[in-house]
Amino acid sequence: MDTPSVSAHKLRQQHPQKHSHYKFSEFFQFNATEGTIADWNGSRNIITSEHFIIGLLEGLEEEVGAASAAVMYSIGVEWGKQDSLFFDQWFEREYNIRPQQANLMFLLETWWWPFTAQGWGRWEIDMTDRQQGFMFINLFDSAVARTLGDVGKPVCYLYAGLYAGFFTEMVRKQLSCIEIQCYSMGETYCKFLLGAKDRIDAAAFWLNEGATASDIENRLRAGYTSS
Amino acid sequence: MLSHIETLIREVDGRYATDNELLFMQNYLQTARLRFNAYQKIQKSERAIIQQVKQKLKATEPQLLRRGKADISAKWQRDTVRVLRFCAHAMLVADEEGLEESLLLWFQSIMRAFKAQQSCDITYKTMQDVVRQYLTPQEAELFCPILARARRLLGQ
Repeated sequence: MDTPSVSAHKLRQQHPQKHSHYKFSEFFQFNATEGTIADWNGSRNIITSEHFIIGLLEGLEEEVGAASAAVMYSIGVEWGKQDSLFFDQWFEREYNIRPQQANLMFLLETWWWPFTAQGWGRWEIDMTDRQQGFMFINLFDSAVARTLGDVGKPVCYLYAGLYAGFFTEMVRKQLSCIEIQCYSMGETYCKFLLGAKDRIDAAAFWLNEGATASDIENRLRAGYTSS
Repeated sequence: MLSHIETLIREVDGRYATDNELLFMQNYLQTARLRFNAYQKIQKSERAIIQQVKQKLKATEPQLLRRGKADISAKWQRDTVRVLRFCAHAMLVADEEGLEESLLLWFQSIMRAFKAQQSCDITYKTMQDVVRQYLTPQEAELFCPILARARRLLGQ
């Protein structure tokens, strides 16, 4: 987990243009005297165990019941929006170009790498349907799903919110996101659908009716937006 | 080597290391001179190696150095020099695993973002042939598997 901080990363100060800095011992800076951990971009990090994730999710569920999914999603959205602004700053500082000038896929890979280094998993973006207004994100090793194991339903609401928030801020257009396949449903990886709210609502409806990720993909590609 | 040393420090923790645990150091010492020589040769011949690889690419797969109408050979050269240097360093310190963590895994996603896998595949395959002209067979035996690893990761 990371929170904004002003902690300076000494290695980054020495090598500000170094891009391949995701090795554990380089990306994180352990400040023993202060008892803090800063990452390459100056965020303060906290190392947590799987018990923490379980505690967070179960505690939330106990407090707000079924609304916990929506709460996690909202937390993700806010996180994604904030992180988009933070990313703009460090991207420009590191690459000396504005994010809008960069190759889109390169930009997105660069955004996600700190998350990979922090243990949130690796991803793969499928932009084939971008012109149609939606795209898919495959996530390998979700920290949430890996922790909860096979519980028979999607659990990565935090990630769905994170993607919705980040992309909404990036393209300046309201976007939503839904997890349509999850490691916690016994699948090998998680899959998210990102797009306008009407499409995501339709996907949520199909998912409730028992549709699989590939059913949803096919229906969206065939142009359906409702039942 | 460096990854091995880190593991050794972690594992030994307040006792003496066993002979078996120190075996990697003996193996390293046996090849250290070779690694050092090969490293210096690559350093001295970097320019020639890169130029030769580029010429071969131009002759056989010229489209790999262009994106549409744009000539991307300068960018190709920057990327290739970077990988060659990291690989040479990994050979010097015998740390192929560290190479993945410090460069290849990140660079793989960047190469995919630019759809440069085919270019990487051919570049690091060609480079294995080219460096053999500059190294002895024993030195090449140490270095080429590292280039092969770079090819495998970046080329897919």
